[in-house]
Amino acid sequence: MSSDGIIMFNDVWKKYSTRDLFHKSLREEITDIFKREEREKLSDGEFWALKSINISIRKGECVGLFGPNGAGKTTVLKLIASVTFPNQGEVAVSGRVAPLISVGAGFHPDLTGRENIYTNGTIIGMSIKEIREKIESIIDFSEIEERFMDMPVKKYSNGMNARLGFSIAVHSSAEIILIDEILAVGDEAFQVKCIDKIRDLKNNNKTILIVSHNRKKMEELTDRILFIKSGEIINS
Amino acid sequence: MIKRLLPYKDLFVVYVWREFNIRYRQSYIGALWAVIQPLSMMLLFTFVFTYLIKAAVSDYPKTIFFYSGLLPWTFFASSVNYSLTSLTENYSLITKIYFPREILPLSGIVMAFLDYVIASVIFIPMLFIYHIHITYYILWMLPLLVLLFVFTISMSLLLSSLNVYYRDVKLATGFLIQLLFFASPVLYSIDNLSLNFKLILFLNPMTFIIENMRRCLIEGRGVVLWQFIFVSVIVAVFYYLCYRFFIKTERDFADVI
Repeated sequence: MSSDGIIMFNDVWKKYSTRDLFHKSLREEITDIFKREEREKLSDGEFWALKSINISIRKGECVGLFGPNGAGKTTVLKLIASVTFPNQGEVAVSGRVAPLISVGAGFHPDLTGRENIYTNGTIIGMSIKEIREKIESIIDFSEIEERFMDMPVKKYSNGMNARLGFSIAVHSSAEIILIDEILAVGDEAFQVKCIDKIRDLKNNNKTILIVSHNRKKMEELTDRILFIKSGEIINS
Repeated sequence: MIKRLLPYKDLFVVYVWREFNIRYRQSYIGALWAVIQPLSMMLLFTFVFTYLIKAAVSDYPKTIFFYSGLLPWTFFASSVNYSLTSLTENYSLITKIYFPREILPLSGIVMAFLDYVIASVIFIPMLFIYHIHITYYILWMLPLLVLLFVFTISMSLLLSSLNVYYRDVKLATGFLIQLLFFASPVLYSIDNLSLNFKLILFLNPMTFIIENMRRCLIEGRGVVLWQFIFVSVIVAVFYYLCYRFFIKTERDFADVI
């Protein structure tokens, strides 16, 4: 494993529970605190979402994650974004991460497109000043007409939502960009544009992780593909 | 906490602005709601205690007496209400991206503080109408406000993070706030109560804060320094524990929520 990785997974295990945690009683929670050392064991109704994952991604690489539904691809992205933490092993990420929030999440339906650019932009780590400078180009890229920008997002179509979300994410100055299933949104023309933009980012030495079910597109776009199946990385 | 938030200050600013926009969007009288709530409560209490229960509450005009207690109380209660569900409502953000989670409950508190400021504005002419003699003791308001803030933040952090795990918290809080309302000297003054009663009521930091805010605002009396220091230490310890709890649970929010 190379040491110059910008993203490093070192024997990472992550478990989830099939049970609704709401029903876990307070007594169980309290006894759990005293059972720290047994954390790596599975208790009732738990399963490993990731099993001993080792990944090393260098700066400027474009890597695809491919695998069936529920294989753990999104969990990997969540670990990189520090949204969740491993039960065992360690995840080291150096540099700012911009997760591409999947279709319209993080948008507030009552706010206008313009207002949502500000809120969403700052959430993924842009400063207000940065957004002010880039807002014209964000709107341009999304191909949403200027007159719709002052309309509440709840009146947008799904495609408009996704385009705006994608446009904000690619304009952030983060070093690491996570893209989850975004190639499935927007019309043909916009998808072509997205792919061009991803190539563009690649040339700017950004590190990119893509999750997609479209293997052909992914092969065109990425430097290498990691195959994940039931929580394990397999070679194929 | 400040050190953790500093790199995210733009997010905080935008987030408060976002909350503000969401709240008053499609609302006709907007920020006036901030005044209507304490004002109508004041009128109700004055009516009840003047015509229905003829009890002498204090030597001061009832309206101003109630309003001075309702201001800090409303700030506390609406802060807790805003922040309580702030984490669970922003489910889609928490499961997608990292940022210091306390931004969500804190922006609820900032919103409640804006309401507090707006509601305070109509308090000033009331002071003149009732010829309240304002003294230098009014400067005590500042440290008391800080205390109120720290206590409110602690409560909000604790309850909002617990609510991620157990939605019972949301159901219990409405009831808890109502209980706490009667345990706080909004409707009465603790001056006439027996010592034992006073001690029990002082277990609630809101008692100290509300009683003393009223003292230095309308009664022209100062705060007893040792009492202030004593309550400050308790509130500081409480804050420390709540914040530690929040930081500890924050890591699991995305998995549990």
